Amino acid sequence: MATEIKAVGVCGFGTMGAGIVQVCAEAGLDVVVLEASEERLTLGRERLGAFIEGGIKRGKVTEADRDALLGRIRGVLDVAELGACDLVVEAVVEQAEVKAELLAQIAGVVREDCLIATNTSALSVTELANAVPGPERFAGLHFFNPVPLMELVEVVEALQSSEQTLAALEELGRRIGKHPVRVKDRPGFLLNRVLMPYLNQVVQDYDDEIASAEDIDAALRLGLGYPMGALELLDVIGLDVHRHATEAAYEQTRTPSLSPPPLLGRMVAAGRLGRKSGRGFYDYEEDPR
Amino acid sequence: MSPTDNAKTVGVLGAGTMGVGIAVTIARAGHRVKVRDLTTEGYERGLANVADFLDKSVELGKLEAERRDVALAGLSGTTDLADLAECDVVVEAIFEDEGLKAKTFGELDEICREDALFHTNTSTLSVTAIAAGSRLPGRVVGTHYCNPAPMMKLVEVARGQRTSDEAYTASVRFLESLDKRVVTTADVPGFLVNRYLVPFENDCIRALEAGLGTVESIDTVVTKGLRYPMGTFRLLDIVGLDIHKAVSTSLYDRLRDPRFAPPPLVDRMISAGQLGRKTGEGFYTYADRKLMGT
Repeated sequence: MATEIKAVGVCGFGTMGAGIVQVCAEAGLDVVVLEASEERLTLGRERLGAFIEGGIKRGKVTEADRDALLGRIRGVLDVAELGACDLVVEAVVEQAEVKAELLAQIAGVVREDCLIATNTSALSVTELANAVPGPERFAGLHFFNPVPLMELVEVVEALQSSEQTLAALEELGRRIGKHPVRVKDRPGFLLNRVLMPYLNQVVQDYDDEIASAEDIDAALRLGLGYPMGALELLDVIGLDVHRHATEAAYEQTRTPSLSPPPLLGRMVAAGRLGRKSGRGFYDYEEDPR
Repeated sequence: MSPTDNAKTVGVLGAGTMGVGIAVTIARAGHRVKVRDLTTEGYERGLANVADFLDKSVELGKLEAERRDVALAGLSGTTDLADLAECDVVVEAIFEDEGLKAKTFGELDEICREDALFHTNTSTLSVTAIAAGSRLPGRVVGTHYCNPAPMMKLVEVARGQRTSDEAYTASVRFLESLDKRVVTTADVPGFLVNRYLVPFENDCIRALEAGLGTVESIDTVVTKGLRYPMGTFRLLDIVGLDIHKAVSTSLYDRLRDPRFAPPPLVDRMISAGQLGRKTGEGFYTYADRKLMGT
């Protein structure tokens, strides 16, 4: 794996994709971002623009920085445009068939020494590697939301991943300002494996009326120094997203602490998904937080 | 200068780390504090520690000298429970033993006024079980301070099965007079803080045992990914593996939830004398072991 990573392809310009595009461009890498339609490219650019505008307002980014950064990003609709990339990271919808099909297409257009990574949080990286001819160049690169602010990235080792691939991804992680941590391809990898049982426990306790949402979160912030209480955090993550992730991990492990508490299902059914829907454990319409 | 008329007289049982921290917290808010320990040396050392803390607070500009003087003027010590007869509130911070705590409240029944509040600073025991030692269990409230008590804003208030509304309300008002943020919980094992911290720590230890990560990578995930103030293994080394095991086992015995059971690695480390900073070695090794000794 001789090539230095200079050009990165990102598939998917959603929340995670936009974050990955941003941190790569900020580190001076050329970024090609692939989407399915012109409209989705436009939405992605808006997402990215909104985040950077926030940085300009807080005085962290200059307008010249922004223009240079946007100049390094190219939106494309044809997978063939990824051909010159040294690394392609896919961040499309969490469906195994969709990802597998895309990964095969990517492998068909890039050089043989191009690294390919998936940002999946719930699927097996080892299984996805089967879609890539030459799977030793494939691994997981698991970012956290919001990508520009979260300092961690998990480098997930598929059974097929080569040492060079993993080392190159760790090096890239450091280059884009993250702390890379190498983890095994197990359900939930590492961070979610220890986070999800805790979140599930708090949700069940809340449903059991052990304490109010405000008091639970205050205990976690003031007693343990956590930046956010568990219920506030779930409202940010999205209850549907958490439920899907913990259900997937439960299906693979049958570990009871990973099983989603019933309240999550009821809240998702009622449309209380967290901040994005205006209400979760807290109400953001009456009391914007 | 002496405490004002609306100052309360508060007994603090036990002059260990928590007792001293609680005495500081209450005294600097302008209340009279009587520290009771089993021995004269015990309470004298405790009072000296309270005075040291208050002096340091003044030096650091965190406390007005006048308030320290009020606090010290109202501070006294005793070995005799009978000296707590005038207390409006008695806070027990003695050894974490349900029978001992319950028996002590029974003895205080014979000494204190009927309207005196009894606070138990247990972290893992049942408030209801401790309250059963008093003939007036309605006046017993769980008040769990975090360590170090003078610095930590949070106090968990746990209502036992028979805690009265009056005692609960008066206790919250008293704690707010200490400038604490009160959270109210049911009388459940571990209340909130330990109930969420201990199984999380065990999950991290199990992840280590299962080869999901190393001590360093798991701590990186915790500090950089979850943005907690300290890595789990750093924290466990400070707490001490023996203490962690005792707390974890006590919670497991009451809950029977496997996440609370201390993982086998904890036993092996204890057997090997790897208790954390205090023995110079735990999940990490510490070169400055002499500095860490108590």
